[in-house]
Amino acid sequence: MTDMSIAWSEDYACGLNPGARGLAGLLGPAKAVQITSEPAWGSSGDNPLIELRNVSKSFGPVVALDSLEATIHPGELVTVVGPSGCGKSTLFNILAGLEEPDPGNILRFRGKSSAASELLGQVSFMPQRDLLLPWRNVIDNAILALEIEGMPRTQARAEALKMLPEFGLAGFENQYPNQLSGGMRQRVALMRTFLFRRDLMLLDEPFGALDALTRTMMQRWLLDVWQKHRRTVLFITHDVDEAIFLGDRVLVMTARPGKVKLEQKIDLPRPRKADIVTSPEFITLKKTLLDAIEEESMKSFMTSGH
Amino acid sequence: MSVSGPSGAIVASPSLSAAKAGRFVSLLKSLIWIAAFLAVVELLVLVLGIRPYYLPRPSAIAAAFWATPQAYLLSMWRTLLETVIGFVAGSLFGVATGVLFHRWTMLRELFFPLFVVSQTIPVIAFGAVVVLWFGNTLLAKAVISFYISFLPVTVNALLGFAAVDPRQVALMRSFGAKEGQILRRLYLPAALPQIFVALKLASSLSLIGAIVGEWFGDTTGLGVLLLQAMYNENVVGIWVTIVASACLGIGLYAVVSEAERRIVFWGAEQ
Ligand SMILES: Nc1ncnc2c1ncn2[C@@H]1O[C@H](COP(=O)(O)OP(=O)(O)OP(=O)(O)O)[C@@H](O)[C@H]1O
Ligand SMILES: [Mg+2]
Repeated sequence: MTDMSIAWSEDYACGLNPGARGLAGLLGPAKAVQITSEPAWGSSGDNPLIELRNVSKSFGPVVALDSLEATIHPGELVTVVGPSGCGKSTLFNILAGLEEPDPGNILRFRGKSSAASELLGQVSFMPQRDLLLPWRNVIDNAILALEIEGMPRTQARAEALKMLPEFGLAGFENQYPNQLSGGMRQRVALMRTFLFRRDLMLLDEPFGALDALTRTMMQRWLLDVWQKHRRTVLFITHDVDEAIFLGDRVLVMTARPGKVKLEQKIDLPRPRKADIVTSPEFITLKKTLLDAIEEESMKSFMTSGH
Repeated sequence: MSVSGPSGAIVASPSLSAAKAGRFVSLLKSLIWIAAFLAVVELLVLVLGIRPYYLPRPSAIAAAFWATPQAYLLSMWRTLLETVIGFVAGSLFGVATGVLFHRWTMLRELFFPLFVVSQTIPVIAFGAVVVLWFGNTLLAKAVISFYISFLPVTVNALLGFAAVDPRQVALMRSFGAKEGQILRRLYLPAALPQIFVALKLASSLSLIGAIVGEWFGDTTGLGVLLLQAMYNENVVGIWVTIVASACLGIGLYAVVSEAERRIVFWGAEQ
């Protein structure tokens, strides 16, 4: 695992652009049908890709989300932080179409009012656990979504095979999940998500299980491909540095019941270099965010003993 | 497919052939054990002077087989056919009903109790009816064999489906998967370890079904030989039939186990 990831990161350092370009092709707008004249990124005037108004969700007596409001524009990379159990994964489940929010909500996808279930198959979703199938090897796990879409296996495999080196999995295509380290399993899951080309990507702590070195590499790699083709990404993390380093905006959620407590725009210039984390602007942002998170974490600690 | 070191791709092939050699050794070992066991029985029978009426010498049993191998082999073949047909039909039916019951709880509530009740009807009583329906045919025996082997498969398939991680189902649905796709790509493979546990049980049950089925009248088959030997008080004949049935049973079990080893290579870890 270790030597593998080092080899991979060297590869990354010298052959970054050609490698990323292969992936960038994959990140292009997925289906001709779905293209809604993708506007320049970051401009606030254009139509939001996702609009959430008054979204609540309770599980019996537990109120996970309470009138959450959020707007995501096409091409944005929005990071979400918040105390454990505040409903981040629940929000993702709603956006992936897996859970219906409580009645009374407004959920607009590309300007059209939709039920959550209409988003099934529209959103590329990476859950918190890798959820690899133990009877499928790396390649076949990665192509699961493509297969479901109806792509012939051989074609899907060929496509996935090309992506392996960029995910640090070259040579591991025939291994089974029980033969992989946690970090590698996570990268297979990430690859599965990337191969399912959709305009909106939901990543639930994708780098949470990776070692520090691989993690920074993956962050820079994600930024690189995202910068080329602005796919909209919603990214949950527990790491404030990661949230600032990656995001156009950071949403800080309150303790349960979750809503957006703070929406912090990150104006750091792009492309962002690794050393940006020591710049004064970064430190100021981090301080603001940490204060907000700390307040909420204390709250959730007191009420539910998380 | 054993778990190998960090650079697994390279280590994998020698460890595979090592596993093969290991299996050969364990096969050899069990053969030696059987031979030793037979030798001990032979000695005990001789030394203690046990009368053949109670327990014939293994060598006498073998000799009786070699005297008319044709008759025994034909019977084994016939019983094997009935068993395999019953077993395959029972397994398929078991998995199919498992799928139906899992998918439609209504069906399950309606029919599952019936399934259980059906198993409380003694196989003898049921067998008589089946022979009335189908005549003294191979099919009748296969039906009896089917009848006593399908339920464990249904039950275990249901258990296996129920144990599937709902988050895994949710992930497939988020990819836009249809129910059929989720069934084929998730539920069935995930339930395989459980299903194989039932298949091993069903393999012995279906053999019992076939033998009992033959008692309702037939001309060949191990059940027939057993009855004939019993009426003629041919003790050695009874024992040859017992050994032949055991061989069939062990053989079937071994085939199912080997299939399990190859198909469910990932183990029941999840
Ligand atoms: N299917 C469910 N049934 C019942 N309660 C649920 C369900 N899903 C989530 N919850 C509850 O909703 C709350 C929010 O859970 P959620 O998984 O969204 O938190 P989270 O912010 O993702 O936490 P973490 O950071 O630990 O992953 C929790 O209290 C959880 O117990
Ligand atoms: Mg979560």
